[in-house]
Amino acid sequence: MDDLKWMLVDFFQALAAGLLVGGTYGLMCVGLGIIFGVMRVVNFAQGDFMMLGMYAAYYLVTGFGVLTFLGPYAGPIAGAILAGPIVFVIGWLLHRYLLGRVTGARVVSAEAEGHYAQIIMTLGFALVITNGGLILFGSQPISLQTPMSRESWEIGLIFLNQARAIAFVLSVLFAIGLYLFLTQSNLGKTLRAAADNPIAAAYVGINVDRSHRIAFGLGVGITAIAGGLIASTQSFQPYIGFDFVIVMYAGVVLGGMGSILGAFWGGLTIGLVQQMSTLILPYQLQNTAIFVVFLLIIFFRPQGMFGRIWERT
Amino acid sequence: MLKIRSLDVAYGGLKALSDVSLDVEEGQFVAVVGPNGAGKTTLFKTISGVVQPVSGEITYKGQNLLAVPADERAQLGIAHVPEGRQVFASMTVMENLEMGANTRKGRERWADLLPTILELFPVLSERRSQLAGTLSGGEQQMLAIGRGIASAPDLLMLDEPSMGLAPAIVDAIFERIQFVHRNHGLTILLVEQRVAEALESCDRGYVLETGRVVMEGAHDTLVSDQRVRRAYLGM
Repeated sequence: MDDLKWMLVDFFQALAAGLLVGGTYGLMCVGLGIIFGVMRVVNFAQGDFMMLGMYAAYYLVTGFGVLTFLGPYAGPIAGAILAGPIVFVIGWLLHRYLLGRVTGARVVSAEAEGHYAQIIMTLGFALVITNGGLILFGSQPISLQTPMSRESWEIGLIFLNQARAIAFVLSVLFAIGLYLFLTQSNLGKTLRAAADNPIAAAYVGINVDRSHRIAFGLGVGITAIAGGLIASTQSFQPYIGFDFVIVMYAGVVLGGMGSILGAFWGGLTIGLVQQMSTLILPYQLQNTAIFVVFLLIIFFRPQGMFGRIWERT
Repeated sequence: MLKIRSLDVAYGGLKALSDVSLDVEEGQFVAVVGPNGAGKTTLFKTISGVVQPVSGEITYKGQNLLAVPADERAQLGIAHVPEGRQVFASMTVMENLEMGANTRKGRERWADLLPTILELFPVLSERRSQLAGTLSGGEQQMLAIGRGIASAPDLLMLDEPSMGLAPAIVDAIFERIQFVHRNHGLTILLVEQRVAEALESCDRGYVLETGRVVMEGAHDTLVSDQRVRRAYLGM
């Protein structure tokens, strides 16, 4: 009887941990979802923008101390949120001066719609940002230690790490906010239109370059917020982007290309699978479990969980 | 309204249009006809600003259109309904129409134009929350035209609305275009391969062949011209 009880506790503990981790993964995937799923730009550097978000949050809270006056609880949260606008500006500038040359209306008629050039360029971003980070921040793993990182809320026998729980709640809120922005606001709709069909968007008077720039900044900014939230739950170094870029692409494809909500569910699923797999598999096989589930879903539902099939004309 | 003077357009070294001049007066229905590869779509893309000309002039309501960036030309009242529909496939029918109304005038007149569009193409009303990519070709064409009208344009440019559609649907769409022209007094510039249908409804026509205007004139002159009758109307 006791055995069964502890098995159940373990199960619910893993379920809770999976949901909490998955929520942040979901937000991360939503960021990539805008860039990869909607704009169809293959961004290799997405993980590195997330890494920048982590360091932005870290330095805002500790290095410059600007946020110390907010206290040990609100400070890290504000730091994570502020990482968004900082990385938005970086993304905006990179798109303005570099990536914009290989995206949007001017490349629709180019071979493979400019994807080759995009891949090379974002791979370049990834290398420069990772190694630039190594020079600037050093290779020593650091973490944003806050009281929340160590404390937990107890619900019955289940422990919820405070930093993760808060990250989960904020992630859900940001994902919902972004979804509403893209589906309800006029600016959001024009961003989707410019991504869907750049030429037709220009014909209806949308500035396609500007739209793509905002969408790219938004995509990397959202992922950076997720990074900022993760910064207080685990240690990181400049190479961490690579670990997460795989999770993000898997999440976006799993959820279904082009679906923002789908990207969130994709990320959540990955978090759940990762944590639940530890119940039956050795810890080291977490990522293997993710990809087995990924393959199964893609095998039985190639358009992803929430993907919609339409004829591209 | 629209005045084009000795327009030259080239893709790389390949000449697509040479010395094209064309006039559209306010309230007219002007058709540009010609075979595949005559440069009809290039002409439209140049008017919309997606393609830059080598030389020549385009004036619209007395303003030099070539100095205006592409995305601001829609604000001037030019609506381009592109070849092959080009609807926003991942967005709903309503969202597509809203995107059409992205211009200042379109937003102002949205409340009275939307019912007009839905009355013109009732099928769009039935499918308003369906994704545009799931519509049939004919429905997409209607949506593309509706999107153009939603911008409250002064000049509606239609690039081959008959493309890839069944004859019965083409007839219906042409009938709707004529209706809009007659009842709303909208100026229309139409580009078509289906010469008979296009010439039938126009006030004025141009025949474009390999990038040159080989013939132009009023409706009656063109349809009674022996060469046009033989080459295009099969008479």
